Amino acid sequence: MEMIDRYIYAVTQKLPQSQRKDIAEELRSLIEDMLEERVQGENVTVNDVEEVLMELGNPRQLAQKYKGTKNYLIGPELFDSYMLVLKIVLISTAIAISITFIIKTIINPVTILDHFVELIVAFVTALPAAFGWTTFGFAIADHFGDIKAKDLEIGTEWKPSDLAPIPDEKRQIKYCEPIVSITFYTLLIIMFVFSNEYLGVWIFQDGFSDVVPFLNNETYTTSLLFLILIMGIGITKECLKLIYGKWTYKLVTYIAIVNVISTIAVLFMINGNAFWNPDFLLELTQAGVITENSDGYRTVSMIWNQSTLWILVLLVVGLIWELIDGLIKANKK
Amino acid sequence: MKDANEYLDKLLQELRRGTITISVLSQLSEPQYGYSLVTMLEEKGIHVEPGTLYPLLRRLEKQGLLESKWDTEETRPRKYYLLSETGKEVYELLIVEWQQIVESMSNVIDSKGGKKDGDD
Repeated sequence: MEMIDRYIYAVTQKLPQSQRKDIAEELRSLIEDMLEERVQGENVTVNDVEEVLMELGNPRQLAQKYKGTKNYLIGPELFDSYMLVLKIVLISTAIAISITFIIKTIINPVTILDHFVELIVAFVTALPAAFGWTTFGFAIADHFGDIKAKDLEIGTEWKPSDLAPIPDEKRQIKYCEPIVSITFYTLLIIMFVFSNEYLGVWIFQDGFSDVVPFLNNETYTTSLLFLILIMGIGITKECLKLIYGKWTYKLVTYIAIVNVISTIAVLFMINGNAFWNPDFLLELTQAGVITENSDGYRTVSMIWNQSTLWILVLLVVGLIWELIDGLIKANKK
Repeated sequence: MKDANEYLDKLLQELRRGTITISVLSQLSEPQYGYSLVTMLEEKGIHVEPGTLYPLLRRLEKQGLLESKWDTEETRPRKYYLLSETGKEVYELLIVEWQQIVESMSNVIDSKGGKKDGDD
């Protein structure tokens, strides 16, 4: 009879604690019923027990049937978006690692072998990590997102008038455009987070010697938060384009809202605190790139002082152009 | 090439899956325990694996179609299952649906012969 105990244990140990006792008792009485039927009043032999257990089948499968829950990590509702995000994440990670390698090699070409080893190590560690975290994130979303998944099932209430028109080449947003943009934003985030010290004018004296940074190091943590926020808004925007897949008035409206938000964030960031490096001109002079009171100094100084304005102007023009372009494309029939 | 029997096995499995629930519901206007159901259905020509039936009973109970009660008065405690009020309702509706399916299916299958006989 020990075999029956072992069988019941094998089934129930895979079940939630709350159901174990009840299922174990029920299973035991059922097995005994089956044995009784088999031997018809004679003594139960090991052989009989084995046959009954064989009839019930592999305990793991039986437990699975009792649980009746899904046995997958990421369900079909999320799988498509999972694959998409996974590709983006892996590609951006790979590119970021390669760019780091290139920058390091430019700065210090002598130790290229070390950089190369670092490159390989980074590939071996970072890519699986990126894969793992993305999968983990989606698995969590799948586990807790039952209600959400139902919301996503737009297909359940379907009528023929919902059918999207065959995409018009002119209105269509090519699949690769948002992906390239998302990759770009991701790279920018990685760059801002990891290599602020290289964001600036590179000074070469007997090879690479120093960087005069564009941004104010003291307030960089705050600036970084804003930068990540702005890039995040950008990624959201590109995701919207991916989801819609073609230019519509609705999409243009959403993008307009997103663009206004990101413009406000940029304004806040640039004006709010000492965003730029206040000693930029001084450090440039000290590094010997420009000399004070020369024509060059005046030009650089003018560009530097006007840059905030021009960056804002360019940004706003770019964002407005995006909207106009979208509107024109959405308008095409 | 696969043997015709292999195809048949797979298709039969799919076909049976839905009918097992109806068979189980049909027998539970009186309380039954797991193994008695297996034998009852077997006598009526419906073969159900015990390993499939027992979990199914619990699932139907969880869904609210069945109610259960432990009977500890016999020599060995047994868990009895019985149709709940919802279960009865669902079963009635299922029968109607099932009969329609049978009817339509026989139409479909017979129409092959009907065509050969020519128009009516």
